[in-house]
Amino acid sequence: MKRSVNFAAVLAALLLMLPAGTLPAKGQGEAKALNFALSGNPDTLDPHKTAGTLTFQTLKSVYDTLVEPDQSEKLVPALAERWEVSADGLTWTFSLRQGVLFHNGDRLTAKDVKATFERIKAKETASPKANEFAAISGIQIPNDAMVVIKLSQPYAPFLATLASGWGAILPKSLIDSGHDFAAKPVGTGPFKLVEWVRDSRIVLEKNPGYWLKGAPKLEKVIMNIIPERAVQVQGLLSGQIDAVEFVDKDDLKILEANPEVKVDKQLTALILVMGINCSNPILQDLRVRQALNYAVDKQQVLDVAYGGGKVIGTFMDVSNAFYKDFTGLYPYNPEKAKSLLQEAGVPKEASFDLVLPQNYELHVKAGQLIQEMLTRVGLNVKIKLVDWPTWLSEVYKAAKYDLTVVGHTGKLDPDGTLAGYGKKDRYVRWENPRAADLITQAAKTVGGENRKKLYDEALELMAREVPFVYLGSSYRYVAFRKSVVDFRMTPKLDTFDFRWTELK
Amino acid sequence: MRGRRSGKTLFILAIFFLAILGAAALAAPWIAPHNPTAQDLSRRFSPPGRQFFLGSDDFGRDLLSRIIFGSRSALLVGIVAVSIATLLGTIVGLAAGLAPGAVDNLLMLFMDSLLSFPTVLLAITVVSLLGYGLAQVMLAIGVIYSPVFARLVRAETLAIKTEEYVEASRSLGSPLVKIVFRHILPNLAGKVIVQGSVTFALTVVIEASLSYLGLGTQPPTPSWGLMLKDARNYLVQAPWMALYPGLILALTVLCFNIIGDTLSERLNPKLR
Repeated sequence: MKRSVNFAAVLAALLLMLPAGTLPAKGQGEAKALNFALSGNPDTLDPHKTAGTLTFQTLKSVYDTLVEPDQSEKLVPALAERWEVSADGLTWTFSLRQGVLFHNGDRLTAKDVKATFERIKAKETASPKANEFAAISGIQIPNDAMVVIKLSQPYAPFLATLASGWGAILPKSLIDSGHDFAAKPVGTGPFKLVEWVRDSRIVLEKNPGYWLKGAPKLEKVIMNIIPERAVQVQGLLSGQIDAVEFVDKDDLKILEANPEVKVDKQLTALILVMGINCSNPILQDLRVRQALNYAVDKQQVLDVAYGGGKVIGTFMDVSNAFYKDFTGLYPYNPEKAKSLLQEAGVPKEASFDLVLPQNYELHVKAGQLIQEMLTRVGLNVKIKLVDWPTWLSEVYKAAKYDLTVVGHTGKLDPDGTLAGYGKKDRYVRWENPRAADLITQAAKTVGGENRKKLYDEALELMAREVPFVYLGSSYRYVAFRKSVVDFRMTPKLDTFDFRWTELK
Repeated sequence: MRGRRSGKTLFILAIFFLAILGAAALAAPWIAPHNPTAQDLSRRFSPPGRQFFLGSDDFGRDLLSRIIFGSRSALLVGIVAVSIATLLGTIVGLAAGLAPGAVDNLLMLFMDSLLSFPTVLLAITVVSLLGYGLAQVMLAIGVIYSPVFARLVRAETLAIKTEEYVEASRSLGSPLVKIVFRHILPNLAGKVIVQGSVTFALTVVIEASLSYLGLGTQPPTPSWGLMLKDARNYLVQAPWMALYPGLILALTVLCFNIIGDTLSERLNPKLR
């Protein structure tokens, strides 16, 4: 140990100051390869075994669905060229597109569709989305090009389910042989998976036989897995990265100062909320929950933590056709919050755990802002950081928390957002039989106007009884190099659609 | 000769720096210019200046106040963790050194297996099992560093117990307890203190690392590691957010190491 000031320790201390992670070296001769920054690893590449956004963002390029949303959110033909639904809403008939090939050379037939939906419904698949396919009571295939799906009861969100990432169609031959879809996806999509190197990159290569003529335009898409924001931004500035899908507002100034970079601002379909555990003896008092809503300056939280956005007053994203404005109910009013808390007789020593998923930095930041706002009206709130799996099991499943901040991703159909609320099994533990009933009813109601009325009432109940502090839908800043043309995102689902993208 | 003198100057400087840091930690509520958790969202990312001496962070909180309050977490973790490690290590080390071979082997096997894991990895495992938080971090670090002390104490005990004056005392019928407290412990103290100051430096880094990973100090309580974690997203816009907490952390670690080094030179006759 002589003369050995422990330089390793000092160095370690200094290293903490630097962001981790390195940039990929830009390959030679890959002019038509798009270098994209992805913020993390997908948990699996099997579309039927996860609810993870990163998986669907990757698989949108590898798989197709029977129908898909276009840029205006209308559901349009994809693998199904046409479809018909019977008057009672129970029989759906799809005519498949002809001449579509899987990446392994198989021709797409009705058998593949049937095998796919049976796989999703199978117990051993344990698909987190299986409930969305539960209404299917039988699948008939009169010929190779036609699929007839029977439902046990009308299910309004059916088409939206088929259009979502978890409705991806897999080849029957590989399903039967027990292929490892989690690591090696095989679909009909515009790109084939070349390799997935964990924590490094996912490489996709053009499918030259893609059914949509003229697409895709890129030869290759390289999704570089870069968790560190600062590294993503540096990569974009230096040209090693062509596009970053989610840029922090605080980074905009640097990006906009660079003439080679352009930034797109879009409103997300996120429903950002602070969930309130209504089974907590103090929080089950409506007045306390109202006080929480008055105490939080939602616009401020959106602006500072989420890069701006639009405030919502109920559990629906602001651009949704089913959204109704209730923001006037509980405007920011700390004085009112204080008097409500006094009226409810919240004891001084009462303390609430604000549990935050620590890998979602934006929620952690929002949580710190909210904690300060709640402290100002006299509440004692303690922040507890947990990792994401713990959040899912302790908060989302077991409801062992008082308050939490999280974002619910958009769904193509409102039932995807609302199903289950009003019943005790949702993580906010809010019980309202009327709301639960309305939501169940609405899922069975086919036909826009009647459905909307049911949702209007359910959303009003959620707005008045506030099992959440509704924050808003945030903006998303997508940044590209100037050379990137026509990069699209699938509305609501927030997946990447590289079919139209070009590099100029 | 010159090396020795500049070493002494460094030693005094290090003591001086740590004394100031300790005083600042104790007097934090009185000397910090602002409330370390008070947010001022209209003054986010203020550069160092008159309002905020070292600048403000992404919540508009005063960096200087957060560094001052952050020294509390750092030093508290150091003191508690090193105490746990010393206590646990000394007990095990004494037992191993005095007990018959089989017990000795068993105890040291356990301690060595603890040593074989990378410290940060082990700390993360312990904290994930016990839950995130400062108390858990202190306990984890304390347990993880106890083998270092155990080995040191055992080796010294083995050497001291064969010294003639100990043999003499024993043959005069002194009980074991008396031998331990009168002869063994006092002779160990110096080396344990040296080891303690080096370990202290390491605990400060591990506390910062764990907080950086979100496992240690929970926000909004200030901690240097947490400050660096926040800062890494703003290296370009607000470099001061990383610079000052990082400098203080590095200096603190350096000072503890200088002290440990100087002491070990003084106490080791072979180097004198």
